Amino acid sequence: MYKTFRVAVFAVLLSFLVVLAAPLASFAASAKGGETLIIYTSMKESLIGGIVEGFVKKYPDIAVDYQSAGAGKLMAKIAAERESGKILADIIWTSEVPDFYSMKNEGILEQYKTPLFGELLNPFDDYDGHFTAARLGTLGIAINTDLIKTPPTQWSDLFKPEYKGAFGIADPALSGTSYMSVALLDKQFGWAFFEKLRDNKARIGKGSGQVVDDTASGELAASLAVDYITNDKIAKGAHLALYYPPEVLMAPSPVAIFKGSTHLEAAQKFVDYLLGKEAQTLIAGEGTLSVRADVEKPAAFMLPEAPDALKRAIKIDYLQMMAGKEALIKKFTDTLQGK
Amino acid sequence: MKRRGFGTAQVILFLSIAILVVVVAVPVLLIFLNAFWVNGSFNVADVIRIIREPDTWQALVNSLIIASGTTIGSTIVGTFFAWLVTRTDLPFKRFMKGMFLVPFMLPSFIGALAWKMLLSPRAGFINRFFMQNLGFDGPIFNIYSYAGIMMVEVMYLFPFVFIQVCGALERMDPTLEESARISGAGLFTITRKITIPLVLPSILSGALLIMLYSMAHFGTVAVLGIENGIFNIPTLIYQRIHQSAGSFASIRTGTVLAAILVVAAALILWLQSKVLSRGHYQIIAGKSFRPMELKLRALRMPLLIFCLAYIGFTIVLPTVVIFLVGGLKTYGLPFTWENLSLDNYKFILFDYKVTKDAIWNSVTLGFSAAVITMFAGVMISYVIVKMKVRGKGILEFLGMLPFSVPGSVIALGVILAWSGKYGVNLYNTVWIILVAYIARYMAFSLRANSAALEQVHDSLVEAARVCGATMWQALKDIVLPLVRPGMVAAFFLIFLPSLRELTVSIMLYAPTTRTIGVAIYTLNEDGETVMSAALAGIALILIIVGETLINRFIKTERRGG
Repeated sequence: MYKTFRVAVFAVLLSFLVVLAAPLASFAASAKGGETLIIYTSMKESLIGGIVEGFVKKYPDIAVDYQSAGAGKLMAKIAAERESGKILADIIWTSEVPDFYSMKNEGILEQYKTPLFGELLNPFDDYDGHFTAARLGTLGIAINTDLIKTPPTQWSDLFKPEYKGAFGIADPALSGTSYMSVALLDKQFGWAFFEKLRDNKARIGKGSGQVVDDTASGELAASLAVDYITNDKIAKGAHLALYYPPEVLMAPSPVAIFKGSTHLEAAQKFVDYLLGKEAQTLIAGEGTLSVRADVEKPAAFMLPEAPDALKRAIKIDYLQMMAGKEALIKKFTDTLQGK
Repeated sequence: MKRRGFGTAQVILFLSIAILVVVVAVPVLLIFLNAFWVNGSFNVADVIRIIREPDTWQALVNSLIIASGTTIGSTIVGTFFAWLVTRTDLPFKRFMKGMFLVPFMLPSFIGALAWKMLLSPRAGFINRFFMQNLGFDGPIFNIYSYAGIMMVEVMYLFPFVFIQVCGALERMDPTLEESARISGAGLFTITRKITIPLVLPSILSGALLIMLYSMAHFGTVAVLGIENGIFNIPTLIYQRIHQSAGSFASIRTGTVLAAILVVAAALILWLQSKVLSRGHYQIIAGKSFRPMELKLRALRMPLLIFCLAYIGFTIVLPTVVIFLVGGLKTYGLPFTWENLSLDNYKFILFDYKVTKDAIWNSVTLGFSAAVITMFAGVMISYVIVKMKVRGKGILEFLGMLPFSVPGSVIALGVILAWSGKYGVNLYNTVWIILVAYIARYMAFSLRANSAALEQVHDSLVEAARVCGATMWQALKDIVLPLVRPGMVAAFFLIFLPSLRELTVSIMLYAPTTRTIGVAIYTLNEDGETVMSAALAGIALILIIVGETLINRFIKTERRGG
């Protein structure tokens, strides 16, 4: 009895394995590997897609793959990869400047002083080639044009009654750019700025994209908004406008090469391509600021000129900023929630 | 058999135990270990310290408030509608009963997204309508609140109670009520003394299921609560892990919260089994009489209109809003023909890497998890139900485990087990999600397969064997065909929910391993509201087509079998 039964069991197990193997094979096929330059970036699909396309056209013998996700996700992935021995990516390009300082301190970034440096607008006073700004992100005040008729000209305009209960800042715990903005505004105007915002019932939103969509829908009358997100929605017809007070909130997006990259030469070529005129024109076309003064800013976007913005930008010590992150977020949340 | 040290039975038993241990027991065990052991020693004081942190404590309280409110609301709604479609002369009862089960199919976080669009305080379509056209000063309802969260959860969870109570009312022996009536009892007395005591176990059991579900529910609270700082246990675990990219302190807080969830879930399930075993005595008895139907008389039409309005309000309206917003060029534009198009849908299906990946991931993950779990489930159920071997008790206990472990706990457990500490690092790969899905859905497979196996009486196999069939023939020709519907049911019970899974995948996804649920959620969080709505619409179509196919399949299977 057991003999035949054993046959049956083996048959069942065998079919089990076969069925198991089919999806496995498909996963294995989709797994990335081999001689490919890998880029981790928090840039949007439309932007990185175009840049990679242009790069591959210029260097047809270099295969490129990229993963686009939030900077937090990417850093978590890198941390996990480091633990298992090898970082899979060759290049990282996000908008979280503090991450780059800590990666540099941990010694996992390759130094590369691009020959193009002289042509670039550089927001980092301590530039040493570990990372280079490839984009100058800015944050301004996005208003819903149906709800607010007089454009804001000063940060202090946010204390006016028309913004009461209807001005939103993305949750700095979720959004790195939002955290940076809070730190910059604190540096420039002191904590009283946020206390006044609280008195005007400013709200904490979710992600930095969501506050802009909430402004477009009228849930908020205005929000602290990232340039390209807002300009993208304006281009699609949203009833939004973006304004910059004299003190500019700038969030540069550095690009860096990982130490131990097996495609060092290709990675350097990519960095140079990214900083060159072709890719920077694409970046400017997304509604954010290029790091090159010689790239035309499309007239449709409500943006300051890049060199001017850099001059007006609030300066901050990133290392110091990093150290105080958790405390600052808590202080911000407590203040705005009126605790 | 004597040639080897142990027989096939032991091999199967061993394999079954191994699967459950690796997939379910180890992750749960690691959660308790990490929660209670600090630096190699048992430490309760530290656990209490974590619980007493204001944020953690608040999340615990919130989970309790939301779960209680949702449970009470769903129980009232579910019982009322169940009574209406089984015990009254409401018109179109059969149709209405089907409609009340539809919310089962709608993922509640998609419902939450729709209700956010409808009832956010200043921009929600309903609130704006009241403010602009009817002269209201403020919003009529703010969805970003406890009441809003509970309302949405009730809308999509009440079928748990509805289905249980319907079943009980239909199976209940009507002669009991008849005899009471003949003996002169009034309707009120009958309801109080006969109907309610008989149905109460089903109501309570459905209510406890909802409590269990709501306490561990991520989506609705994540969409509607975070805005106003309302966190429950799963959303707090997510936020902590997400913020710190997996630092030890956050994982510890997570494990403590998860441990509390497991204990609470176990308690709820224990209560449920108590309630059910007490009420089992007499519900299923003959169907000789049609139950007494209450004549609604003048209320017949108003109640029908009420039911239709309820369905329109909770099912049709949100679905329509999702599809409309998914067609908008950008969020905030009015619904006019020039603003609406199918471009977003096309973009999501054919051009957008993030969503294309997500759909592919969800389909392959769901399929693999369903197939693996289906076969593993048959094997394990076979041991539990049919085999007489020593050590089966362990398996029965392990088999119970998946029922009581909520999704976010499983996610945290697999992170602890599979992120390299014990030699295998699956973190940030698609595999970790697969392992978690198998653990999460094993309960479904075990339930469907053991139910099917229990119906195959041993005498059938014995009869075949007496007639000279080999064991293999008996299995192939008798057991397998009889169990097949259970297996197929298990497959779909796993495949369809995994298409819309959010709670587990949101904790485990990496840049290229988003699932549909994760993509909808993150697109919404990134402010791509229209894309998020369009993907949600596509997910709804997938789910509805899938459900329809199964229902058809199950029907033909029944007719054919």
